[in-house]
Amino acid sequence: MKSFTYSRLAVVAILVISSAWIGGCSSKDGDADDKTPSFAEDQQPKAVYGKIQKVDVGDAIDPSMAKAGKEIFETKCTACHKYDVRYVGPPLGKVTERRTPVYIMNMILDTETMIEKDDTVQCLVQTFLMKMPNQSVDEKDARNILEHLRTKPTEAK
Amino acid sequence: MVTPRSFLRGLFVLIAAISIVSCSKDNAPSGGALSGDAAQRVYVAPGQKDEFYDFVSGGFSGQVAVYGLPSGRLFRVIPVFSVDPEKGWGFTEETKPMLNTSHGFIPWDDSHHPDLSQTGGVANGKWLFINGNNTPRIARIDLTDFRTKEIIEIPNSAGNHSSPFSTENSEYVVSGTRFSVPIPQEDVSITTYSEKFKGALTFVKVNQTSGAMDIDFQLLVPGFDYDLARAGKGPSHDWMFMSCYNTEKANTMKEINASQNDKDFIIAINWKKCAEIAASGKGTIMNVDYAHNVYDDAKQSATSTIKKSIRILTSEDIKGALYYMPTPKSPHGCDVDPSGELIVGGGKLATVIPVMSFSKMIKAIESGKSDKIIDGIPVLNYKDCLAGEVVRPGLGPLHTEFDGKGYAYTSMFVSSEIVKWSLKDFKVVDRVPTYYSIGHLGIPGGNSTKPWGKYLIAYNKITKDRYLPTGPELAQSAQLFDISGDKIKLLLDFPTIGEPHYAVACPADLIMKNSRKMYQLSENMHPYATKKESDTKVVRSGNEVHVYMTSIRSHFSPDNIEGVKVGDKVYWHVTNLEQDWDVPHGFAVYGAANSELLIMPGETCTMLWEPKQAGVFPFYCSDFCSALHQEMQGYVRVSNGGSGAMSWNKK
Repeated sequence: MKSFTYSRLAVVAILVISSAWIGGCSSKDGDADDKTPSFAEDQQPKAVYGKIQKVDVGDAIDPSMAKAGKEIFETKCTACHKYDVRYVGPPLGKVTERRTPVYIMNMILDTETMIEKDDTVQCLVQTFLMKMPNQSVDEKDARNILEHLRTKPTEAK
Repeated sequence: MVTPRSFLRGLFVLIAAISIVSCSKDNAPSGGALSGDAAQRVYVAPGQKDEFYDFVSGGFSGQVAVYGLPSGRLFRVIPVFSVDPEKGWGFTEETKPMLNTSHGFIPWDDSHHPDLSQTGGVANGKWLFINGNNTPRIARIDLTDFRTKEIIEIPNSAGNHSSPFSTENSEYVVSGTRFSVPIPQEDVSITTYSEKFKGALTFVKVNQTSGAMDIDFQLLVPGFDYDLARAGKGPSHDWMFMSCYNTEKANTMKEINASQNDKDFIIAINWKKCAEIAASGKGTIMNVDYAHNVYDDAKQSATSTIKKSIRILTSEDIKGALYYMPTPKSPHGCDVDPSGELIVGGGKLATVIPVMSFSKMIKAIESGKSDKIIDGIPVLNYKDCLAGEVVRPGLGPLHTEFDGKGYAYTSMFVSSEIVKWSLKDFKVVDRVPTYYSIGHLGIPGGNSTKPWGKYLIAYNKITKDRYLPTGPELAQSAQLFDISGDKIKLLLDFPTIGEPHYAVACPADLIMKNSRKMYQLSENMHPYATKKESDTKVVRSGNEVHVYMTSIRSHFSPDNIEGVKVGDKVYWHVTNLEQDWDVPHGFAVYGAANSELLIMPGETCTMLWEPKQAGVFPFYCSDFCSALHQEMQGYVRVSNGGSGAMSWNKK
């Protein structure tokens, strides 16, 4: 009987938490439409989740890193992400304008933690109904992908 | 729901059980009743892991089942000798060659004895070997991904029962034939058995690094039935011991005619010497056909090669390397203790368990004495080789394993019990009933130099009333016993697939630390792999259509295909682009006459589809992969005529 009560409690707790969570996402909180980028993280400090705490990004884009990143991106990411339109996941054409380098690196490298803890990612999961898979990219390749994505704002339409 | 009636019934059973226990002399559990802490001993809490892997042969299912101990939970069925549509085994273009033989494609076999690869007589966690009985073969399973990687057919063998039983460092796995036959095969009267039929004992060399198998040599020996084997260890490292019955050479009604002699034999083979003689070029080369099937990890595909010859050695070629030790009566099990000194025969019709001594056998050989010589093989004197006999052990001794603490445990088929006896004085110290009719038994590492003597598992032949009935065909069953103390205690019954013929167990750490999570896309060298969505395409070549397809949560690319014609052979090459653990995708297409594909992350699998009618047909992912799994689908259009030019939605 005791465990039954607990499990009931747990169900209630989950309902409460999940409704609060749903309630936490405003309608503009999504990348569904690339024309309305939201979450300007640099405007409000945000907790960092995942193993990357700091990323050094140079002023100029490193072309060799970007080239290496493009190759990995095409193999491991393009099945779900285009640059300019919504596909399985959000378009990534201007992602470096709306997400910090730390966020992008952690999303690639520590996907599970970001999905579990980051409220931006949780809202994206609600919009796309798909949890981004961890594609087993190593840190060097993730950094190269970031560099590649930096080249994209200029090319996006 | 506890109703008053069921409560009363329960109370009655409880009282009855208490009264039975209090009447028995030694308070031993009876009727399968358990001591109070049994449930705790086998309970592995949700999310917790078992202490041991148990690799259980699937018997007539032809597969291997992987259980956890002490929970008895089933984790995986590894397809080996039989097709498995769930996993596409034997149905995909990549795995069809694995089941090829000199008789063509064979979808079934009967697998009996798994054995783990060893270093210094202890399991090293690399490979699992298992025999196919009916169309004689040995398979090697890779324990990093729990897949069958190699199957080699054994020519001249007619029933690969005495197999695969690895040597101490897995230098060799062995194959002894249960049925003697004319060698080479010929059209003769069965009554010519005693002069024409021969036994074939085959030694398959194992590459220590890759695990690759190759037949090194085959011994032609008298036409008995070769039953079970164990390699020596430590002092007896160079030797293989193999039991045999039907020394009467009967060819009909063997249950009577092969049970005439008071003693049959354990054949002792100095394999090291045989190998040296074979390497020196002695013996003869015989022309035979046998299949050697190898799965290439990089290409993710198997090839089958029919090989054409083997080296044959007879007793003439290998003088001083073969001896018969008389063993009462129709011996079955042939088990070597952890020290390598004692060889236990399971004389299934004998009233004693004979224990032979390796050092005495060597002395007997050195004395040059023999009772007689059969086809050039000396028969040593029983008493000269005997270390001792376990007297009145029970009825029908079959198999023996060891706990590493000075005790042996022998299964008794007829009296349906396990008997524990001391290796020091061969006295019985304990016995427990099994439910019912135990065949093999297993202790983790119980056939090795370092047993983990904590549990013992009985693999039973009869289940009868132990589970909810399921019609005439019942679950097969195993039973877990605690052997950590003086007394053997029953802990758990658990059902198994096929027939749980024999099993080998080892600590979980040995295997799980190397367990593969996925296949790296960058290492996928499959000729039809598609590594990015932009490379997907459909290519026609005559009436063959090759679809280079990718899958990722949750879509196929391409997912609309037109241009296929009735009569085409459509090869669906599907690459799973996921690079995360536990995200397989399935692939099924309407009307396919084979099976689904089940594609692991980073893997490419191929299904052949031959559409028989025009129309538009769906395909979909058959392994639930995400919230949008139901959307993971597509269409292929099949036309009666047309140009056959292919079109698809390019990504």
